[in-house]
Order: sequence, then structure tokens, then C-alpha cells
Amino acid sequence: MISLGAVAAALALLAAFVPAGAATGDLPQLGPHVSVGTLQAGGTYIVRPATGAPIAAVELWYRAPSTGFGPKPIPSLSRLAAQVVIASKPLIGSSLGRLVSDLGGRLSVNAYSDSIDIGAVVPAAHAREVVKAMTTAFFAPVISDDGFHAAQQDVAQEAVFESFDPAAVVRDAVFAQLFSSGPQHYPVLSDAKQVATITPADVRAFATRAFRSQNAIFVASGAIDPSLAAAAVGGRPAAAGLAVPEAPATPDVASSPHPVSASFPEPSGGYGWAGPPIAQEREATAMDFIADYLFREESGVVSEAVADKFPDALLIGQFITLHDPGVMFVAYAGKSVDQVKAQVDAGLEMMRKPLEPRTFAHALAAFRFHLLSDLQTPSEMADNFGWYSVEGSPEYAPGANGDKGSYAKAADSLTADFVASVAQKYLSVTPVTVTLTPGKKSS
Amino acid sequence: MSTLSIGARVAMLCAAALLGLTAAVPAQPQRFPTAVQTDLGGVSLISESDDDETVAGVQVFLAAGLDRQLPSESGIAALVADCITRTPVNGVAVRDAIAQSGGSLDFTVEGRSVHFYIESVPQMLPAQVELFAKALSAPDFSPQTIAAARSALTARINDLEGNALSVAVEMFRRSYFATSAGLPALGSTTAIAALSSKDLAAFYQANYRRSGLSASAAGDLTPGLADALKTLAAGLPEGVVTPVVPKAKPIPENAPRIVSNRDVAAPIVVVGYAAPPPGSADFGAMLVLESLLSNAFERSSATTLGIAERSVGAFYLYDSSPASLVVYVNGTRVDPSIALRELLVAAKSLSLKPLDAEALKHFKIVAEGQFLTGSLMVADRAYLLGTFAAQGLGSDAINAALAALDKTTAADVQRVAKTYLQRYIVALVLPRQNGGS
Repeated sequence: MISLGAVAAALALLAAFVPAGAATGDLPQLGPHVSVGTLQAGGTYIVRPATGAPIAAVELWYRAPSTGFGPKPIPSLSRLAAQVVIASKPLIGSSLGRLVSDLGGRLSVNAYSDSIDIGAVVPAAHAREVVKAMTTAFFAPVISDDGFHAAQQDVAQEAVFESFDPAAVVRDAVFAQLFSSGPQHYPVLSDAKQVATITPADVRAFATRAFRSQNAIFVASGAIDPSLAAAAVGGRPAAAGLAVPEAPATPDVASSPHPVSASFPEPSGGYGWAGPPIAQEREATAMDFIADYLFREESGVVSEAVADKFPDALLIGQFITLHDPGVMFVAYAGKSVDQVKAQVDAGLEMMRKPLEPRTFAHALAAFRFHLLSDLQTPSEMADNFGWYSVEGSPEYAPGANGDKGSYAKAADSLTADFVASVAQKYLSVTPVTVTLTPGKKSS
Repeated sequence: MSTLSIGARVAMLCAAALLGLTAAVPAQPQRFPTAVQTDLGGVSLISESDDDETVAGVQVFLAAGLDRQLPSESGIAALVADCITRTPVNGVAVRDAIAQSGGSLDFTVEGRSVHFYIESVPQMLPAQVELFAKALSAPDFSPQTIAAARSALTARINDLEGNALSVAVEMFRRSYFATSAGLPALGSTTAIAALSSKDLAAFYQANYRRSGLSASAAGDLTPGLADALKTLAAGLPEGVVTPVVPKAKPIPENAPRIVSNRDVAAPIVVVGYAAPPPGSADFGAMLVLESLLSNAFERSSATTLGIAERSVGAFYLYDSSPASLVVYVNGTRVDPSIALRELLVAAKSLSLKPLDAEALKHFKIVAEGQFLTGSLMVADRAYLLGTFAAQGLGSDAINAALAALDKTTAADVQRVAKTYLQRYIVALVLPRQNGGS
């Protein structure tokens, strides 16, 4: 039996190793298995240990506009800046990219309009060294010439790949029309020519402001222990005049968006609607439900019908939960684009009326399963905490607090009538429409 | 002698263990949890239960894979499996019934088996296995169901035909396997168009037998799963499924080349080698060679490159039997003839000289990382457990594979390179020219 004194001694010892600020009052409560605290030099950490496979996901999330903080928008800047930091070799040791590759892990950068995440999946035994290397690289960024040129080449190539992706082209066109200002108005990854115009000074200015510990949300999940956040380095002290952290973006929604017609090698199209903000949890969850029921790959009713009738077609539909507003986005492509569009329209029309009780019950059971299925890997779990944190509502993350969490409660509260009312409210207004046709000039 | 009390020492150890600070306690788990093998009355279930997982999944293996097909029936294994997932249970196709109760059902056809995967919210998995059992025991091979399954398979086959890497790997497999295990996983559109209800029923009768059934499970498993699987087994007819001995054709010394034309943007080259099975003394060394050949030629990149972005990549297909190693050269990224020449030179030199200690250590770490990060989903883990078990490797085979990697020496790598990498088949997929085949 261990005495109370021994327990107290253990707790005292443990406390000495927990990063500063771990017990401050305004940190989100994400469940008994999730440690949340403040990093040494500011910023939040979220660590979700799990049993099972000896894998760890280590991620840094930042609120940062993809076009930079300056008055002149520079599309692709956030993506390039992150890749430069990853590729730049510090004075001591290898670059972050090299370290993860040498561990047989995977390193990714995902840039969004208003945020960016850098994620690594590595054997859990090496999680600490990756945390140290990632925070060393990003809390005090080094921008080397070699790193800049290598990253510029990589990002330019990615831009070329993306320019052939109909979903990405439609998304950029939808967002450009839906939002009249802010980073959402511009593509996250523009064309290769534009990437070539970005300078090291642009990257340095962006990295200095965006990649601060105080602006960071550090997330880790997998076969790790709660003290992993202690491996994060301190980084630069908070700079005067900079928000800690940056505020979530609230772009202006265009008052009268126009339909877009443009040229693209494959017939393609899509829609976009402004949806509820993240704070409207029940409505946002209803929009997720609608997207899941209609468009989930392989099981959505529209997706299945399209796959059955037009096997070459591409169809993507999702509700993108954002700070304010969220966006319902649909993209399709293929030879039979008009017929696919008709299927999409019919599906959306169906959602404006309540589903039959039996159909709704089945759809809700499927939705709950999909939520859980999408949280099964360490990186999926980390992504979910990171995304909802940068959008301003970590406690609404589907992985937070299990079946007692905000998201689970919102899902449980859905009714067929409420879902239909949300579809009526947000999806009955005229959407932004995009039509891409081979050989057609842009309008 | 230390003056610390026992209580204080225990306290320090507790704290240190929580923080991963002692050398005696590993900082992080290095291995997968050990799986448990259970005999369900003649049917083997291998499972790794983890209540931290959000879902549970079970792979149901049947000895009804490609090697059971006649070449003229290429695709019958997939068509039977697809029909089973469409079989009505209480008036609803079983895959839809499972989806409606919070789960999913799909299938994969391989050389030696077909495996059905059911994933679910944990508490529903046993009930969904029982639903599936009803369809499995009385499949619907009506013309309507076959037509729907055929249409879905045709779309998937056409998709694969547009993927140069997939085509090239299929070409290699066809040349390498001496049995029908080398036939395309989903078959040919011509063959499946000709298959009738009678053909499917005959294939089912011959191969869907209790003795050819096994299962593997992972995730948050509930106790009812074993009983549900027993019900599933009981629904299958008894009778012996004669084993098909896996067999590869000897790879000739003169490096055969197979060429095909497809509607692809750039050429892709696949170099296929024979490879040792998991459990062999050469397994760890081949994992090292896989990581070496996969990474040695790749340009440096800040982030991890996807298959389409890579110049050269390697896959060790140890889950198929006989195993093989496939190295591909991506013609959109590099000149295939130069990359191919470099690859062959590297394979030769690996057989002539041992790796130095640094390089060996480096590629062992990379290989371990790639092995671990390759099995993240519950479906992957269940599959790996099941496929290793099918090769007689027991319940801790995944960790045994990692241990084999740990023990690998430079001499092992050299020996394995010499044994396996000196004979190969080249499969080349070229963009179709006007009027080309």
C-alpha cells in the first residue's frame, strides 16, 4: 500500500515536470484522457494519449491567413513559409523534414484559408525528439537560402498538381465568389508563376508573426504520455503588439455573388453556401449530418447514386466548419456533369423536407458511426483537436469528452424536422455556382 | 546505502514512470499489444482488443480467393463476394443493413483468400456479424443482383485500368505466380460478363466452407464477437477445402520484359523480384532492402511525397504468397531508363558488399518507421493479424516481424540481396500511341 505522503511526493515531483500554466482556468476541458495546458513561452498544448499501436501524431496548428498578414494578399504564402521552415537546416542537427524521413515517418503541411498545420506521424518511441525538432524549427524559424529554394520548387510543383484537380479549382472559385475579402477570397495555393514571385523577405515576415509559440496549438495523440508537451522548446518570448494568439478569421460574405464560368480541361462544377458559424453547434452539426447523408464517399445517397450511374464522375460534398461562417461546398466533374448536377440538386431538395422517421434513424446511426470511424488514427484524433481549436471552439471537437461532449450531444439532439429547418435556412438561398468547361473563357 | 524510505522511492518511481524518465522503463511503447488467438470450435479468431479505439473491426477470411478461379473465370471470386454484400437480409441488402445500424461492410480479393471487413461502433459489431452471417450462408445470385455487382466491378476494373502503377503490378504478378493467384484481383470485364448464376453458385459451393474460414479483429472489441463468429461459422457448410499450394514461376536469368500500352500520361516501370515470406530468417533484411530501394533514389523533399509525386518507390508484398518485392519508376518524374539502370546497379552492388554500420542502422530505423506507420487503421491491423496468422505465424507475428528487423545484420542484407535481387521481371506500361495496342 502506498501512503498518502508517498502519493503527495509523487504528485509534487510530477508537477515539477508539467509545463507552466497547465492548470490555468481558461483552458478548454476536453475530457479525462486529454491533457490541456500552456506551453513554456505561451500557446496551448493538447495531448491525447492512447493505448494500441506504437505510433504518435505530433502536430502544430496556427491561426494564420494563407495570404499573409500584410495589406497586399500573397496567395500561397503560408504554405511556402511552412515548407521553407521544414526544409531549412538549423545550425545544429538536421532539418525537420529530414529527421521525420529518417525515422520512417510522414510529414505533411496542410494550409487552409485561415490556418495551417504541420503534422508528423512517427513511431511513438521517437515522439519526443520530433516534438523538440518541430518546436525548435517553428518557434524560432530559420529561413535558409537552400531551404527557401527547395521549398519554392516543391510548392510550385504542388501548385501544378492542384491546378489539375477539379475539386480544388471549383473550391477556389466558390470561395472567391462567396467571400468578398479576407484570405478566403484567394486560393490557398495559387499557380506556380505566382509562387515564384514570393520573396524570402515575405516568408520571413510571415514566419516571424505566424510561427510563434504564443500563436501555436500543439496537439499530440497516440501511444504517448501526457508529459510529451514538456519536450516542446520555449521559443521566442511574446512580442509586444502581437495578439496572443491571433484572432479567428471572420471574412466578409459577398452580398451578391455571381455565377462563375471558367475554362478547365474536364467538365466540372460546384456550389457553395455560407452556413452556420462554429458557435451554432446544433446547426453546424446538422449541416455535417446533411453532408454525410448525401455526399459521404461510398455511402452517401447521392454519392452512391452517382457512382452507380456515372462511374467516371467525381463528387465531393462537405460542410466545412469554420469560425464564422461555415461553408457547404459541393464539387463534381466528369463526362456526365449535367446529370450529376441533377442528382446533387435532387438530394439537396430532399433535405429541405424532414426525412421519414425510419430513414432518419438509420442516417443518424450511420452518422454517429462515421464520426467515430474518422477518429481512429492518432493523426485523425490530433487533426480534430487542432482544427476545432483554430476555429475557436476546441470543446466542440468530435473527439472531445467522448459521448458526453458538445458534438456528441448536438448529434444526439438532431431531429428530422430540425435538420430540414437548417437545410431550409442555409441551403434554400441562391448558392454561388461554378461551371468549368473545356475551352471556355473565364468570366 | 540510500536513506530514502521505501515510500519515497515508490513515489519517485511512480512519478518518473509517468514521465518516462527512467532508463529501466522504456519512454514509449515500442511494440503492438500482443494479440490473442482463440479457437472458436475449429475456426481461428486472432484479436487485438483496445478499448481506447473508437471503433471495432473484424476481417472474415475465406479460402475463396484468386487461386480458386479458372483463368477463364477471372473475376468470379470478386463477383461472388460482391453479390454476398448485396444479398438481402430482412429485405435490405446486407451492406445497407449494416450501414443503417452504424457500420460498414466491404471486401477484398487476394491470391489465397477473399476477406470481408465489418467495421462498427463497438457495441454493434456482434449484431452486424450476425447479419452478415445470414447473407454469407444464403447468398443471392439472382440475375438482378449479379447485374448490379457486375456493373460495380466493371467500374472498379476500369478505374484500375487507368492507373499505370496498378496495371504494371498486375502484369508482374501475372508473370510471377504459377497459379491463378496472379490473375487480376477483380477479374476481367469480358470474363465477368459471361458468368452466370450457376457459375457463381458452383464457385460458392466449392469454396465457401467452414474449414476455409478464419477471422481477425482489432479495436474496441466486445465479448459477443466470438459467439457471433461461431454463428457465422455454423451457417457455412462443412467439408474440406483442398489447399492450393502457393507457387511462383522461377524468374529467368534473362530478365523478361513485358510491355503494355494504356491511356496514361507517362511511362511507368515496375521491376518485380521474388521475396521471402514473413517468418523467414530473411524477412527483416528484405524490409531493410525495401526501405533502401524506396528512399535511396528519391529527391529530398520537405514533406513526405505521395506515390504519384515520387520518382521511385518500393513495396514489399509480404502479405501475398509467394511474397514479392516491387520497385516502380515513375516516368512523370524521372527518365525511366536512367532510373532503371541505377536501380539495377544498386541491386547488384548490395549483393557484392555489406552495408556499412551507419547505413544499416539508418535503413533499419526507416524500415521500422515505415512498417509501424503503415498499419494505422483498425482495418489494417486486423488484416495484418489475419494474414500473418494464415501464414502460420501466430498471435505475436507483428511484433516478431519488428524483432526480426532489429536483429538484421549487414551480412543478412547482403545475403538477401544476393538471393532475391539478381533476377527480376520488368513490366513496362507505355502511353498509348495512335493505333497502339
